[in-house]
Amino acid sequence: MKKIGLFVLGFILFLGPFSIAMAQQPTICAIHPFTGRFAFAGIEGSVAMQDVVDMANEAGGINGKKIQYYWADGEYKDDVAIAAFKRLYAQHTPQIMFGQSTGMTKALGPEIKDRYKVLYSAYTMTSEAANPKENPYLFIAAPTYTEQVGVLLKYIAKEKPGANVAFFYSDTEFGREPILASREMCKKLGLNLVAEEVSQVGGVDISTQVLDMKAKKVDYCIFHGYVSNPIAAVIKQSKDYGLNAKFMGTFWSTELQLLKELGPLADEYVGVSAYSFYYMEENPMIKKIRDWTKKKYPKVEYRSQSYMEVFITTHLFVESFKRADKMKGGITGDNLVKALQSIKNFDVGGLMPPVTIKNNSIPVGRVYRGNSKTMRFDPISDWIRLD
Amino acid sequence: MDLSILIQVIVAGLATGGVYGLIALGFVLIFKATSVLNLAMGEFMTLGAFICFTALTMIHVPFWIAFAITIVFAILLGIVIEPLILRPMIGEPIISVIMVTIGLGAILRGLMYMIWDPTYRAFPQIFSPKPLKLGFAVVPSGLLWGFIFAVITTIVFILIFKFSRTGVAMRATANDQQAALSMGVSVKRVFALSWSFGAIAAVIGGIVIGNISGINIYMGDVGLAVLSVIILGGLDSIEGAILGGFIVGILQNLTGLYIDPLVGGGAKEVAPFFIVLIILMIRPYGLFGKVIIERV
Amino acid sequence: MRCGDFKENYIKDEEIFPSRFVKFWLALFFIFLIIFPFIANAYMLYITNMIGFAVIGAIGLNLLTGFTGQISLGHAAFIGVGAYTSAILITRYGVSFWLSIPLAGLVSALAGLVIGIPSLRVKGLYLCIATLAAQFIFGFIFVHWESMTKGITGIHIPPPMIGSFKFDTEKNFYWITLVFVVLGVGYARNLVRSKMGRAFVAIRDRDLAAEIMGINLFRYKLTAFAISSFYAGVSGALWVSFLKVVIPEHFPFMLCIQYLAMVIVGGLGSVIGSIFGAIFMTLVPELLNVLSDVVRSYTPGMGKLIIPFKQVVFGFLIVSFLIFEPRGLAELWNRIKKFFTLWPFSY
Repeated sequence: MKKIGLFVLGFILFLGPFSIAMAQQPTICAIHPFTGRFAFAGIEGSVAMQDVVDMANEAGGINGKKIQYYWADGEYKDDVAIAAFKRLYAQHTPQIMFGQSTGMTKALGPEIKDRYKVLYSAYTMTSEAANPKENPYLFIAAPTYTEQVGVLLKYIAKEKPGANVAFFYSDTEFGREPILASREMCKKLGLNLVAEEVSQVGGVDISTQVLDMKAKKVDYCIFHGYVSNPIAAVIKQSKDYGLNAKFMGTFWSTELQLLKELGPLADEYVGVSAYSFYYMEENPMIKKIRDWTKKKYPKVEYRSQSYMEVFITTHLFVESFKRADKMKGGITGDNLVKALQSIKNFDVGGLMPPVTIKNNSIPVGRVYRGNSKTMRFDPISDWIRLD
Repeated sequence: MDLSILIQVIVAGLATGGVYGLIALGFVLIFKATSVLNLAMGEFMTLGAFICFTALTMIHVPFWIAFAITIVFAILLGIVIEPLILRPMIGEPIISVIMVTIGLGAILRGLMYMIWDPTYRAFPQIFSPKPLKLGFAVVPSGLLWGFIFAVITTIVFILIFKFSRTGVAMRATANDQQAALSMGVSVKRVFALSWSFGAIAAVIGGIVIGNISGINIYMGDVGLAVLSVIILGGLDSIEGAILGGFIVGILQNLTGLYIDPLVGGGAKEVAPFFIVLIILMIRPYGLFGKVIIERV
Repeated sequence: MRCGDFKENYIKDEEIFPSRFVKFWLALFFIFLIIFPFIANAYMLYITNMIGFAVIGAIGLNLLTGFTGQISLGHAAFIGVGAYTSAILITRYGVSFWLSIPLAGLVSALAGLVIGIPSLRVKGLYLCIATLAAQFIFGFIFVHWESMTKGITGIHIPPPMIGSFKFDTEKNFYWITLVFVVLGVGYARNLVRSKMGRAFVAIRDRDLAAEIMGINLFRYKLTAFAISSFYAGVSGALWVSFLKVVIPEHFPFMLCIQYLAMVIVGGLGSVIGSIFGAIFMTLVPELLNVLSDVVRSYTPGMGKLIIPFKQVVFGFLIVSFLIFEPRGLAELWNRIKKFFTLWPFSY
């Protein structure tokens, strides 16, 4: 027992000096899912955040002050992430934090509002994070999942009014989040929601779901809550079973790795994303990212959409820091929120159309179709405003 | 529901059940000889899939050679792990041994993360993607090959156990270790070999599942649902593993067809566990398992 | 320390704190526990609270698995039942936090009774898998019984209050945790030296022989399940009032594994082992995190490899513990004490 006491004392003494020294600098702390199902996103996202911080610091930081950046692994488990959040906060007292998942965001939401008062975003596009009345400190640099499904539904309604639609989502918080509101949207757009299929991420067999969709004569199937598995399996098996439906998905599955899995069937998939892709070099920001990447990580050939999401979020963090620094009181959570909400028509070099924060989110998206010959996504619509 | 859909669902269930049976076989092979429930089976599976994938994409060998490499790897895995980790645990309560296998799984997962990174990958196309068109149903290619592999592997193991010397030695050890020892059977070798056999079944399962749904380091989580298969079939019965797999596969799909729409999804994944509880009430040792008679 | 054994009657033999030396150090420890929240920061208090909840849960599991020999892979489900019961009682029926804790424990105990029924038919590994099935079935219920549990959205819970004093920070909640941990440990320690405790151990060692000697297996096995689940329920109820939110994803299968690891690494069949195990399994990952932060600041390129290495180290620790010290930390503690009993003589 005594040993534990000594250890704890030593621990406090170890941490003490650090927290005092770092509190004044603009500081970002992030929890990335380095392990777990979202690891591919966490690894790319953390690099993105590091890149933006480095770029900003190289350009002079925030009026001369360098941005401090610390991160931890949340393992895509909520309790680990919450512990990491509290640890990072206790050690560095950041003004901005970035979280790993929908679950963690929902769990910490009330405490961020009452206690921590930091500007916060995460690897999620849940509507709770785009709700300035309930959660003023939370925001997302993208449309919410509900808005994304909305884009797809509007696209369907234009292409085939009154079509039969199915939702295919994962049995998780992430997957179920937009379903309620999307059901309403179907009714409003006059589409028939004939089936809802649920499966675990990584289910081995999805034949019953495919057959159910065939029986209900589904025309369009919208995936949500998955990354690539089992979307590829569903699309492949639909050909085997004779299900003639068109397949669409939301942000996290609209990635090149899905196209690789689909192979020749890549043309079947249509997705929605808020950002341009790494190969769209005509955009100055993309070019900047490419040059930076070639310089620092010469072996890397591609940066995924997860990278883009965190990149733009951090870019907005930096901009908020700059604006808040000029306000009375300097860089505090409340000023950062005001700064963020003042962002209107902010040019981000083509990564997205000029950014205006509305309701703590950016309700803009574009529809892309997979191309099996080039193994890329081609835009099949213009930037759509979702409000 | 019209009949053709029902038949299709049953056929698909049969094929998936084959895949389950394969993994269940891995569990049973290890349990039969050593009485250990190896909860690291999911990681063995994933490891097998990755080895095969690496052989196919890095060294560009044809499939049969990659397959052989993976099998050899599985044998080595069993031979290395058993003496290192399981033998010191002989005589410890069963719960500690299960915990050791869980720890082993964690180590393997961490190592796999470090060697290959966590992106999802598509398995290279090794079988023709054309589905099998029976008159009344269609079987997608991934499931079909899974079924074929499962049946062949089971038959091979049944033959080994029945007719080869090694197999007889393993059965003897499973029955009574002391007696087997006194008959000259090297129990140590039998233990290591049974782990190798289990690993072989697991890696084949991994290749099959990788073919169906792509590989990534977390694909081993399907291993838990397979526990219901071995309860149904009996923890120490090889035939039980594959037959149990079929039954669970079909029942699971039927649940997906009829019950999922009622509860808004998710029932399909939990159905095997309901099956477990029912079986334990009616026939605790499974369909083909050996009934344990205890004496004070 | 004392050496030799000079007990003169059974009462003295069963004493938990036999000497003044032990009582003195215990008092000192309690004083430390009371001073602790005033010197620790919020993060450490968070960890301490988590350790407290883990201790209660681990003791429950140890009573069932370590003392009665019934392997349970469903502990997380009972924690979840207690958690949700408490949340639902507080938010839907306006029950006060203080009343909801024992009620949550009771509901969990009921669930435990139900899940314990297979234990009368099957043993060992089969029971293990039955409890695993229960774990997944409860998980399913948490997600799909939306009218009660609000499904994946989860329930937000207000912090407990006495009068106008809110227990909403880690420091304030610490007192609640402390009280419950002390109660839980005290009860368990007394339970194992009572008639019921001896019955449990008899069932674990040779249940057929126990039955012949007149121990009603039916009654004691179910009681073991019930008490174990009561502890789990209380632990869960405390945990959710601390976190102020409960979602189904808080109770995955991994949590069962963690508790099992606590109990096994700490020492099966030992109350102090459960405490050690709970501390070990909560602190070690956090220590590894801090360590990897430090290593990362010195070797920036290695950052990506350190993360999975943490998993490897962790699995490795569990495996080595089980191989080299199969009776757990409690055994290690006993050996250290024995060594000092005779020090500086070696035997």
